[in-house]
Amino acid sequence: MTDVQAIVLALLQGVSELFPISSLGHTILLPAILHWNNINRADPTFLAFIVVLHLGTALALIVFYYRQWVRIVRAMVASLIRGKLSNDRDERVGWLLVVGTIPVGILGVVFQDPVRALFSSPGPVALFLAANGLVMFAGEALRRRQLASPQRADRPIEDLSFVQSVWVGIAQSLALLPGISRSGASMVAGLLCDLDHEDAAHYSFLLATPVILAASLLEIPKLAAPGAHVVLAQALAGGVVAAIAAYASVAFLTRYFKSNDLRPFGWYCLLAGIACFILTRMGVLT
Amino acid sequence: MKPIALLLAVLFFIAGLLYGLGTINFFTKSGTEHAHHVSHLVICWVLSLLCLVWYRFQGSPSR
Repeated sequence: MTDVQAIVLALLQGVSELFPISSLGHTILLPAILHWNNINRADPTFLAFIVVLHLGTALALIVFYYRQWVRIVRAMVASLIRGKLSNDRDERVGWLLVVGTIPVGILGVVFQDPVRALFSSPGPVALFLAANGLVMFAGEALRRRQLASPQRADRPIEDLSFVQSVWVGIAQSLALLPGISRSGASMVAGLLCDLDHEDAAHYSFLLATPVILAASLLEIPKLAAPGAHVVLAQALAGGVVAAIAAYASVAFLTRYFKSNDLRPFGWYCLLAGIACFILTRMGVLT
Repeated sequence: MKPIALLLAVLFFIAGLLYGLGTINFFTKSGTEHAHHVSHLVICWVLSLLCLVWYRFQGSPSR
């Protein structure tokens, strides 16, 4: 992997992890489009590189929401000591995040490897990317239908039920399929649980943080793989680039979703997915 | 529900231990890969810890 490839992949990872466009899908499709045949996704050195990019992304999310995480952890510890849930907003959000993380933790450990072994070639990834676009359109359409109902009103994150948080977590698990976006799926689920776009994005980013962090921490032994030290400098530079890109992305998206919806990302995923699938069928992407 | 929470905590802890020792291989990729067993061990112990949290929230009276 050249330095330019490393920086491009880091930038792509940092941005696409938080934009609802599937980071995994893009890191499979872009090297295929650019014919970067020197990149072997199964190579231990490449896996070590990816681990550092994920760490960078997770750290960016933690830094962005640092104050809220401190409040959440404090409130959760207090509730544990007390042995009773209270009406504290941060405590409630903290336990909702814990409950919402359980499905992706279990499903990720059990299904990640077989799913990725089956669907990590450009053809299926392109189809899943298009499906990701359709999921966002469907989510927006269902939300508009909900808004038309007179009984319905937006609710804050802390008013989610634990069952709803589990559903959002299950939706997030769809991102095990390369091409389906973690943030897109969890945002759509959040919208269907009566969160507005801003809160759905906020909850999606909070929910993604422990998952990305835990996944990268579990993979840290890969940094000790034979030959991994060769890409250490590239990995560190890539980690910094991914962190900066992720921070800028979350800052942009939190503003964007104050007054916008998922449809532009839906169009992008649908068109990019269809285009990549056609290129795959033509033999251009391999 | 308290006994169920405690029972599940113990079961998940033992399952994690067995994954760590390589005694059980359910839902693992190859059944032999070390890193994969570690992830199963970790998820089992996290679930065990969460069961203890569940137990705790059913335990004490409020302030």
